[in-house]
Amino acid sequence: MSTEPLLVLDGITKNFGAIEALKGVSFSMRGGEVVALLGDNGAGKSTLVKIISGGLERSGGRMVYDGREISFSSPAEAKAAGIETVYQDLSLCTNVDVVANFFMGREIVKRFLGIPVLQERAMEAVTAKAIADAGTRIPSLRTNVEHLSGGQRQAIELNRFVHWGGKLVLLDEPFAALGVEQTRRGLDMIKKVAAQGIGVIIITHIMTQAFQVADRMVVIRQGQVAGDVRTAETSADEVVRMITGEAAKAVPGTREDARTTGVA
Amino acid sequence: MVSPRRRAAIELVLDNLVWFILAVVLAIFSIAVPNYFQIGIFANIVEQSTFVATLSIGLSLLIIAGYMDLSIESVMALAAMVVGILFAKSGVGIGLTLDPEWLIVPASLVIALAVGALVGASNAFFVVRLRMNAFIVTLAAYIWGRGLVVALSGGRSAQELPPALRFLAIERFLSFPLIAWVSIVATLAFAFILNKTPFGRHLLLIGGNAQAAYRAGINVDRLTAITFVIAGAMAGLAGWLLAIRTSGATANLGVGMLFQAFAAVVIGGVSLKGGVGSLTGVYAGVLLLASIQTAINLMGLPAHFTQLIQGGMVLVAVLLDTVKLSIRKKLI
Ligand SMILES: Nc1ncnc2c1ncn2[C@@H]1O[C@H](COP(=O)(O)OP(=O)(O)OP(=O)(O)O)[C@@H](O)[C@H]1O
Ligand SMILES: [Mg+2]
Repeated sequence: MSTEPLLVLDGITKNFGAIEALKGVSFSMRGGEVVALLGDNGAGKSTLVKIISGGLERSGGRMVYDGREISFSSPAEAKAAGIETVYQDLSLCTNVDVVANFFMGREIVKRFLGIPVLQERAMEAVTAKAIADAGTRIPSLRTNVEHLSGGQRQAIELNRFVHWGGKLVLLDEPFAALGVEQTRRGLDMIKKVAAQGIGVIIITHIMTQAFQVADRMVVIRQGQVAGDVRTAETSADEVVRMITGEAAKAVPGTREDARTTGVA
Repeated sequence: MVSPRRRAAIELVLDNLVWFILAVVLAIFSIAVPNYFQIGIFANIVEQSTFVATLSIGLSLLIIAGYMDLSIESVMALAAMVVGILFAKSGVGIGLTLDPEWLIVPASLVIALAVGALVGASNAFFVVRLRMNAFIVTLAAYIWGRGLVVALSGGRSAQELPPALRFLAIERFLSFPLIAWVSIVATLAFAFILNKTPFGRHLLLIGGNAQAAYRAGINVDRLTAITFVIAGAMAGLAGWLLAIRTSGATANLGVGMLFQAFAAVVIGGVSLKGGVGSLTGVYAGVLLLASIQTAINLMGLPAHFTQLIQGGMVLVAVLLDTVKLSIRKKLI
């Protein structure tokens, strides 16, 4: 793990009209660190992830990534900066095959007379290797994704981020459709990715997953940070209390931190 | 489960279904309709297909990307009329001449493409920038485009394009006139772009799931706008070809071709839901419509039979699409 923070969120707010989805979220993380983002339905987790990945514009607050203050106006910019995202609602095009999805927007091309031409063979080989490495079974890489199961689809997205790497990976409930074995592999993937120095933020509702993979847990409640603890220094009970709000008084230190750094 | 080889064979047939249907229909007509089986008749079918085929290129690309363009027919007429007014010798034509004479070919082509691209850019502005509905925006352009044709010509026609341009409709290469080759080459070029380049791949992705494409970093707005401009320019090209073929332009030039293009696109296997389609299939769809029309003409049936049959074919095509889908499901 490096010592410089990879990502610093400082008082991030987001309003949807009258709805205040995020009311000043602050935390920071380093490369190689796995942060589990926890919280009840509607807490604002997905909104936060979309703001980091350039899918939504924040209403207020500061974001420092890789030492620079940034403000992404599209996912393309975030991606160019090395931020990969697996969204809660999957981002696959079911009308095309696995290979086309794997390379979406980053196709391998060769130029003939200046005209970029898709290199299908090369792309298929890379996809086959990535999928095999991850132990995912997909009958044919040339079948359209509409014919694949929910779990296979999710696996494609997971393999995609592992392959493309980058510096920061955002995973919004990536295992929701996966079986036991696939989930185990997925968690291993995350550890492998983090070991390469890539920062990982993973949203999950399943406490055991968070404890298996995360170095730290950040709990969001009603658009605010309700807890920021090291996995080694907490328990499932304490985290659950933070999520539901009963722990509000039990961990005043973290709330205080959040508030003082939260006001920019 | 089906063996991979058998499956590949079935896939091949399904992917090129319209070509097989075309072959069968041509065979039946050749046997059943007297005088149908002649090179001249086939050449005539290809020639007739020139304009709708060219129009269908842009329409197909836009439908594949999840949009549509109703304005292409009027844009075609507008481009034809502008070329007619500038270069035709009689009627409303002002009969511009260039030196050397052959310059008229590139000059008129560039003008026709530019007229089309301009309307396409205007459609793109409303749809992409102002987020207006493509159906409404292009319907409006369909109406004002035709209005502009009438306004420019005063309802009269432009006649007599110079031979330096007309030769494209008269000279033949391998029994097809040169203008037919222009539409074939344009179709093949865009088929290549659609199947083999990132631009085409991204169009398919946008048509399948624009949100996912955007998240993957594809510049969806830019691509969509470019496609509207291409559709306009291809309609301009169709207008140029049509002006050359008819040696000028009339105020009601090409009326009804929009619906033929739509029919061909659907018959050719482009899904109106977006994300699916091939341009060679659409070309086969155009040929199919033209061969039926030719058969009806040869049999001496009244022209409205053509419309009845073509309307029925569109329905059959959509039905076929559903059947294809369920066969594919069984193959997995
Ligand atoms: N586009 C939007 N327009 C209006 N409100 C929105 C929008 N997106 C999210 N919200 C609201 O913002 C709040 C936070 O939503 P968000 O999706 O971030 O929750 P979440 O923590 O990811 O929940 P879950 O665990 O159910 O996925 C919710 O109240 C939601 O209704
Ligand atoms: Mg969510």
